[in-house]
Amino acid sequence: MEGFLHFNLQRANAFVLFLLFCTLILWFIRAARTRQDLFIRKIAGLNAIDEAVGRATELGRKVLYVPGISSIDENQTIASLAVLSHVARMTARYNTELDVPNKDPLTFASARETVKEAYIQEGRPDLYNDSIVHYVTYDQFAYTASVAGIMMRERPATNFLIGSFAAESLLLAETGQASGAIQIAGTAEIAQLPFFVCACDYTLIGEELYAAGAYLSRDPAMLGSIKGQDWTKALVGLAIIVGTLAATTGLFDLARLFRAR
Amino acid sequence: MAKIKEGGLSTALQQLDRRWIFLLVAVGAILPILFPIGLSVTVTPPVRDLFDRIESLTPDDVVMVSFDYGPTTKPENGPMAAAVLRHCLARRVKVVVLALFPIGGGAMATEELDRVAAEFPTLRYGTDFVNLGYKDGGQASMKQMGEDIARVFPSDSRGTPLSRLPLMQKVRNYRDIKLVVSLATGIIGDWWINLINAQFGTPVAVGCTAVSAPKFYAYYDSHQMIGLLGGLKGASEYERLLLDAYPQVKPVYDNPMIFNAMRGMDVQTIIHAIIIGFIIIGNVAYFLGRSRAARV
Amino acid sequence: MFLRVQLPLLLTFLAGLIPIVAFFFTEKARLVKVPNDRLEKWMIIIAGFAIMLGVVNVVQGNIRKIERKGPGWHYAIFLLIGLVLPGSFGLLGAFNVGPFHGISPHADGSPSPFSFFVSYVFQPLQATMFSLLAFYVASAAFRAFRVRNLEATILLLAAVVVMLGRIPLGESLFAWIPGGKLALGTFTEWLMNNPNTAAQRGIMIGAALGAASLSLRVILGIERSYLGLEKD
Repeated sequence: MEGFLHFNLQRANAFVLFLLFCTLILWFIRAARTRQDLFIRKIAGLNAIDEAVGRATELGRKVLYVPGISSIDENQTIASLAVLSHVARMTARYNTELDVPNKDPLTFASARETVKEAYIQEGRPDLYNDSIVHYVTYDQFAYTASVAGIMMRERPATNFLIGSFAAESLLLAETGQASGAIQIAGTAEIAQLPFFVCACDYTLIGEELYAAGAYLSRDPAMLGSIKGQDWTKALVGLAIIVGTLAATTGLFDLARLFRAR
Repeated sequence: MAKIKEGGLSTALQQLDRRWIFLLVAVGAILPILFPIGLSVTVTPPVRDLFDRIESLTPDDVVMVSFDYGPTTKPENGPMAAAVLRHCLARRVKVVVLALFPIGGGAMATEELDRVAAEFPTLRYGTDFVNLGYKDGGQASMKQMGEDIARVFPSDSRGTPLSRLPLMQKVRNYRDIKLVVSLATGIIGDWWINLINAQFGTPVAVGCTAVSAPKFYAYYDSHQMIGLLGGLKGASEYERLLLDAYPQVKPVYDNPMIFNAMRGMDVQTIIHAIIIGFIIIGNVAYFLGRSRAARV
Repeated sequence: MFLRVQLPLLLTFLAGLIPIVAFFFTEKARLVKVPNDRLEKWMIIIAGFAIMLGVVNVVQGNIRKIERKGPGWHYAIFLLIGLVLPGSFGLLGAFNVGPFHGISPHADGSPSPFSFFVSYVFQPLQATMFSLLAFYVASAAFRAFRVRNLEATILLLAAVVVMLGRIPLGESLFAWIPGGKLALGTFTEWLMNNPNTAAQRGIMIGAALGAASLSLRVILGIERSYLGLEKD
């Protein structure tokens, strides 16, 4: 009880918005479990995954999966692991070589579990070995040099660059482009998006990356959360329009309601 | 014959071996270093805002300078770090330096602070400036400092407990800090804005690499940060302002052995011109190829 | 089953919920603030120790490569030397063993073995890798910026304006027009402050909501692939 007396009233607006967001998401998750007709628009980059893995299988070359450079406390990494799970299931199904070099040790541990489980789920634990997911280094550019080396020496047919990236994004994407690989990238790092768009065949932009796990799994609960997120975005858009009009006409300052400390 | 020549030229240009581009860029980067041009820079509002904010501080105020970059981006972040530190110390504003970038951040902080502090022999370590060193933990460490800096950094980079440093006796948490300047290569600059400015209200300015500058304009425009130094250009503008306001720092910027952003702008100018040149060549080749294809 | 599934999901739920609840309370609410502080401290410690996981994997993988004489096994030897030498300089320096005194430069300005390695090997290599960006930006721009359609043309023009507006040469190009010296810089700032910021905000808001939605899925155990778990 003592704790509730110290509720931070300055953040009451954030609390209301938080509750609204959670309610919308949970309501749509519940709705999605009963309805099967949820429409989620097509995401070209995610649809291309099957084709990209298929190409590697046909050419008899490996699939390279780079899960970004951040740790597991970064949402983009978690989203990337969801895509990795799907890719690993496909490489297990088609007996295609997979290579997952890692920069962050915690991401490395999670990626290994993800890939191992995917191979088990596909009924091909015999194809799994620990060298598929390996650790390289904690240093950003030494990692970049190592991955660029794999791209040029081993010539993977398909490169996935999905997760949180920084300055190495263009170094990796350009090297992959020069090696002739088909490249699917995805990040929510705004500064890196132009580089991926220039040098890769497909790019998942921002929220598309976060939606990837739900999109690929087609799990109704997960798709429902995307729907709830879209409705929240619509409300944010509405608030922006109303706020802009109100501020322009000098009626009231809507932005004040959204300021949290 | 003319058609073949034209087609050959457009194809050759469109499929130009990228090593030619690399060679020209290398020449364009090396020549201005050997033969400086000395081009002038004009100052933009985001840079002036940070400069003016530090100008408005008094010797009792404390600025926290966070080294959130490593050796990789030293040519871009280093000059802005030096200029901000030099400005604070020239104004006798107290400086607390720390590093959150895991690989080389601590080394960068020590290197820049030691070099700049040596230019101000009357200022004393522990009283006028402090180097807290590096701490892992990113966002968690930053948030903890909102409660008590000494819980995250029990001692400074030299191993002295903070309680024994006169400056740190006056600085407990962000409430005692007038401004945070993050010199960042990656996402740590965003964290200072999204976590520290948003939750504690501490004014934040970011000095970032040119490649990440576009995203920071959104924060600057919404007043979530008070100033922005974008890449070498931002750093060179800050140096310009500093030189105009504090002529005593001129010898440092005239020293050819110390790299500064104004000199770096010569290289940037040539490289940008080369890139624009290649874009033009690429488009000419594209149009030649297209008109040839239309005729065939 | 409990250790493999329920316990990780329960820990995820608590680790996700505690900071959210703590955000909405003041510092006086010790019931939520104490566990939150503890959690943040654990994160710092775990992040530090996690690096050992990676080091062990690198050593194992490369020793295996040398034993099997796999392709490029010679390089594995150099990699291990590169790992052990500076690592031991740092460790011995931190504990002041023999000549490996300290990890920072000495008081007289001379480098310690570790700082020598950092200053003269590590830093130049790092700067070299980053500087490759200039070369790659040039080749990517050459390939990508083509006047294919209206959108591509607008993109190209904006890029050229910003590139010119960011260098003194751009200013001098228009200096012959009265007031022209500042025109390109002002237009560049307008581009960065308005169209650029508008687009950035759109992506930022979408990405932030996406991240929040994903977080909720993770906290509630709906999204489990990062644990190597499939949905029931």
